[in-house]
Amino acid sequence: MKPATLEFLKQRFTDYYKTSYISVPSSLEQREWGFIFFDTSSDVRMRRHMAFSDPRELADYLKNMVPAHVYYSTAYYSTPSAPTMNDKVWTGADLIFDLDADHIMRGPYTEMLARVKEETEKLIAMLTDELGFSPRDLAVVFSGGRGYHIHIQSLAVRGWGSQERREIIDYVCGTGIDPAVMLTQSDAAPAGWRQRYLDALREHLLWLKSLPEEEGIHTLTGIKGVGKRGAADAAAFLAEIDDLARDLEEYRTRTLLGSRMVKAIVTEEGSAFEQRLREKGAHADEPVTTDIKRLIRMPGSLHGGSGMRVVPLSAGELAGFEPLEDAVVFGDRSVKVDMKMAITTAMNGNTYQLQKGTNTVPEALAVFVCCRGMAEIAGEKADGS
Amino acid sequence: MVIAFDYKDLAKYPFLKESEQLVRKHFDSLDRFLSGPRGDEALQRAKERILDAIDPKWEFREEDAHRLPPEIEIASYALARILVSCAGDRLLPERLTRYEAIAVSHFLESEEAEKKRYVAQFVGLDLAKSSLPVPEYIELITQLRDARWRLINRDIQSGLVRLEAAEYDELLRERIRVVLLRNLPLRVPSTLCERFAPIIDEIGAAYQQQMLEQFGAVEEEAFPPCIGGLIGAVTAGTNLTHMGRFAITAFLHTIGMNTFQIGEVFARAPDFDPEKTMYQVEHISGSSGTAYTPPSCATMRTFGLCLNRDAICEQVNHPLSYYRRKKKKIGKPKQA
Repeated sequence: MKPATLEFLKQRFTDYYKTSYISVPSSLEQREWGFIFFDTSSDVRMRRHMAFSDPRELADYLKNMVPAHVYYSTAYYSTPSAPTMNDKVWTGADLIFDLDADHIMRGPYTEMLARVKEETEKLIAMLTDELGFSPRDLAVVFSGGRGYHIHIQSLAVRGWGSQERREIIDYVCGTGIDPAVMLTQSDAAPAGWRQRYLDALREHLLWLKSLPEEEGIHTLTGIKGVGKRGAADAAAFLAEIDDLARDLEEYRTRTLLGSRMVKAIVTEEGSAFEQRLREKGAHADEPVTTDIKRLIRMPGSLHGGSGMRVVPLSAGELAGFEPLEDAVVFGDRSVKVDMKMAITTAMNGNTYQLQKGTNTVPEALAVFVCCRGMAEIAGEKADGS
Repeated sequence: MVIAFDYKDLAKYPFLKESEQLVRKHFDSLDRFLSGPRGDEALQRAKERILDAIDPKWEFREEDAHRLPPEIEIASYALARILVSCAGDRLLPERLTRYEAIAVSHFLESEEAEKKRYVAQFVGLDLAKSSLPVPEYIELITQLRDARWRLINRDIQSGLVRLEAAEYDELLRERIRVVLLRNLPLRVPSTLCERFAPIIDEIGAAYQQQMLEQFGAVEEEAFPPCIGGLIGAVTAGTNLTHMGRFAITAFLHTIGMNTFQIGEVFARAPDFDPEKTMYQVEHISGSSGTAYTPPSCATMRTFGLCLNRDAICEQVNHPLSYYRRKKKKIGKPKQA
């Protein structure tokens, strides 16, 4: 990053931190803080093991130091500023979920944002409707980058270690399903994963049936446990799929577990069925949830990799949230930037087609492309005046 | 309604507050009790509890709990907890509480419904409910290995996990184990631990012996691929993460290597720093008071340390189980 660009970003971030009120996380004095700065000259990438006892102290720090990235610990510590993790004395941690579009799909930024929002809505529904968390306990946060975080501060989960948290993250991601349990006939109407599982299996069987017969047989004989010699069995199986699908629709599973084909389909690792089942889960990042000493981006701070605001939302506000408008904090005065490449992007309701080379763009977009490393501030007068 | 436990009942459930009260009624101070006529008897029985707890061949016998007067039996329960706390190995309290929970669950099998309900309530489980809230359920089952206990394999509706009546006995045993383990190790005054030193040494020796029998001589060919990979990385001079060093050390310690032998593994690294290494090794293997158990497969995966998975990995949840299986496998000479 050129000095002019660095200066431009620091000025804009300073302006933000001087004029904005940012609410601090609960139990401020028990949190550890970490910061990454624009100046990368120092050896230390992140300055961490810091603690603040007073909201004003933190606000002053942000104004004076103008960090590019601001993080605090999801954990609560007796001595958060102690230099080693052991000396901090862990006393609990919020339950955190991280949804990152990077882990879900590749594509244009706007599409990634839309997809990860859907995924977040799916996760919220699972947490509230199935696992019984109150929507009020869920703090949803746009990360300022390519995803969302969910913070649950409920006391019921605060003392949990990694293992307890793994139960929850495995549940939402669909990890560790036991086909035998799912296919055991139950008196209770299926709900949650059992329902998703039976639905996925029915969809999968009907998909097999919809293929041209030769292709259906080829798909089945390709499964480990069926093999080339299973062609006749595969053909017979395809013929009875309609019956099986009807059984599944009415949640009669007794016949299914006995079927060699069904067993082969549901137990094969990395199979098309497994893929279909995974799609029904929410793609949250597992290590983030099980790590009880994680640092997370501060809601209300700016994301140094995009210049956008890390926006706190309630579960109800997510549906109407448009990151490329609602997380944009800078203005529309004109700024000249020198693009390293051509890009098309949306912001504040407009679509911009930027050419390689010099472009005049609104300040907010200039901050965005400079933070992402796609551009430098052009010319002598970096502020565009 | 007040449920009347007689003294004989209390010997079966020594963790109940009624049991504690009984002991207090008979003996006013621990010091006087230990120097008194029954002190040694209780201490010997406490030792027996722990030796039974670490013996894989131990089997429950109802009469064991009734050989001594109830107050002595209950005192021996409390003394056993003190002894394992003094011993400083994290696995011992785990073994002891598992043993106590198994014994209690055997007693409960033939217990009157009311008394059983009372014991369940004491550890915070309501046997009348047909479901549990998700957080309570999770806290109850994290240590249970079977796939059917995983949250994802349960019927859940609106935050409630449905339970089958037949599952309650298992959950109750697990709950008792967790509750009994919760306060361990106890903070025991060092003067008291010193007083027990000979008996603790005896337990330690038996425990070491039992570990050796279980894992036998160290066989590097039987190491799981993750541990083998980490050791390979050390030998190649790669700087391991803390978790990596921790996993190697805790694994090697648990299968019976001493601090010196573990240090030798790390000495294969080109930039070996003896002092620093020994400090870490000693810390992890328990000279500072707690010995750590090596991470499970799930944890290894989370930290990106699970590598070169093979067929045996598919059948185990823990690197130690891998080692035990593989050892058994290569131990048998191949038939020609």
